[in-house]
Amino acid sequence: MQHMARMSLIREDSAAPAIEIAGLSHVYSGRDGAVPALEDISLSVPAGRFVVIVGPSGCGKTSLLMMMAGLRRQSAGTILCAGAPIPEPDPKRVGVVFQEASLYPWLTALDNIEFPLSLRHVPRADRRARANDMLELVGLHGFGERYPHELSGGMKQRVSIARGLVQDPPVLLMDEPFAALDEQTRMTMGHELLRIWSQTNKTVVFVTHSLTEAVYLADEVLVMSARPGRIIDRIPIPLPRPRSYDMMATDVFGRLRDRIWQQIRT
Amino acid sequence: MKRPRPSTVRWLIVVFVLVLWEALPRAGLIPELLLPPLSKTLAALVADRALYGEAMLVTLYEIAFAMLIACGAGILIGAAVGGVARLRNLLLPVFSSLYAVPIVILYPIFTAWFGIGSQSKIIFAGVYGFFPVMLSTAAGIRTIEEQLLVAARSMGATVPQQIGRVIIPASIPTVLAGLRLGGALTIIGVVVSEMLTSSAGIGYLVTSYRTVLDSPHVFAGVLTILVFSILFDTLARAIERRTMVWQTAGRRERSLSREEARIAAAPAPA
Repeated sequence: MQHMARMSLIREDSAAPAIEIAGLSHVYSGRDGAVPALEDISLSVPAGRFVVIVGPSGCGKTSLLMMMAGLRRQSAGTILCAGAPIPEPDPKRVGVVFQEASLYPWLTALDNIEFPLSLRHVPRADRRARANDMLELVGLHGFGERYPHELSGGMKQRVSIARGLVQDPPVLLMDEPFAALDEQTRMTMGHELLRIWSQTNKTVVFVTHSLTEAVYLADEVLVMSARPGRIIDRIPIPLPRPRSYDMMATDVFGRLRDRIWQQIRT
Repeated sequence: MKRPRPSTVRWLIVVFVLVLWEALPRAGLIPELLLPPLSKTLAALVADRALYGEAMLVTLYEIAFAMLIACGAGILIGAAVGGVARLRNLLLPVFSSLYAVPIVILYPIFTAWFGIGSQSKIIFAGVYGFFPVMLSTAAGIRTIEEQLLVAARSMGATVPQQIGRVIIPASIPTVLAGLRLGGALTIIGVVVSEMLTSSAGIGYLVTSYRTVLDSPHVFAGVLTILVFSILFDTLARAIERRTMVWQTAGRRERSLSREEARIAAAPAPA
């Protein structure tokens, strides 16, 4: 009996979406009065899902992500992360990776990864061990003592991902993390991200401009309209996993990308 | 032929100048009244070393306190002006204009207020050195990349943590550059004010020997301050270098340890 109860509890827990947004709107006060930025956004991201948000520039997709991270407050509506609101940033529940690596140039790669732990006064040895695990995970073994200026753009973003994951949050938010990289590195990093994701079972919400990247990475692509941003389409990506580069050449891939493109253009 | 290293050339130039300093007056090309030979200058310095030592102590004491004022007030006010937008808009234009004023014109007023002893020198030189420290601290804090703070917030940094762990380390390079400049100005301020109205210190010695046309003793004083200023600058640069390992991108000649060499040889991930 007790066993049954616990089972149902676990079922319920795992059924709770990692992120649930209901009736979210945002208005900011610009020079010419109130500007509606986001309008009536509702979405639900099941745990373990890789969701990509695309949309025209200025549609508010980054704002939306910042609200999920607790870095910005919406005008109306609710955001729940595993059933609880996020009134302020909480790296134990949500890790964030930004477009620019935003690493601290005076800290080595390892110290950067440890930074969120050191803010919480985690003992040094635990910190180091955890950071080393993360360094390993993102494929930077042996680069821990390097300063950011000694790392390439892709390596810096690997460090950022490691830093976002160091407290093992169930959710990872990524704001155009590979936008500043060259095309080749970008593809490699996308592939690497999928590897890391499959090893860690995180829920990922990923914002990008690149439609190819969106289709290649996502379980589901959410398309946003121009300002005020609304979600105008949800496109499931039925491509099998693990994904491989030659999938990009397939008809299915092309049709999916085209469907997104048609949505954004209009 | 191998090119000599820049540091070697620098030292050769110094030696060359010192040789000229000795040779030209000795050869009679420059009257000794205008430039006494190096040996005579050094002899004067050694003969009256107690006198110079005592004067140097006074000067050092004044410089130390002036730097304390310049750096302390400069960093505090600079941080406030750089960090608070309203203060910045209000005060920064004022301070920037004041920086251009030749503050030495105020020195007579300082002596009227604080007397001709050390106090007026300390306050004058402190004010003189305050401006570059304050302005560069303000600039250092104002130019911090916003993204670094957003990232810190996303990692749950409290406001004191944002200040201590992000704002301060990020502004150290600009602040140190200001401290070096401000420090140099306080040295100038102290010596100049000693030369104007005083009864002690190296600047006073130089002026008093000049009025009696004792060139070797004048140059001995000049040499003392020269060496001290160079020492200060070398020390300040060394501190800057030490604290900015992370800034000297690629310029640092690192001796590769075996571990590093192995990593450098290994194919780097993207």
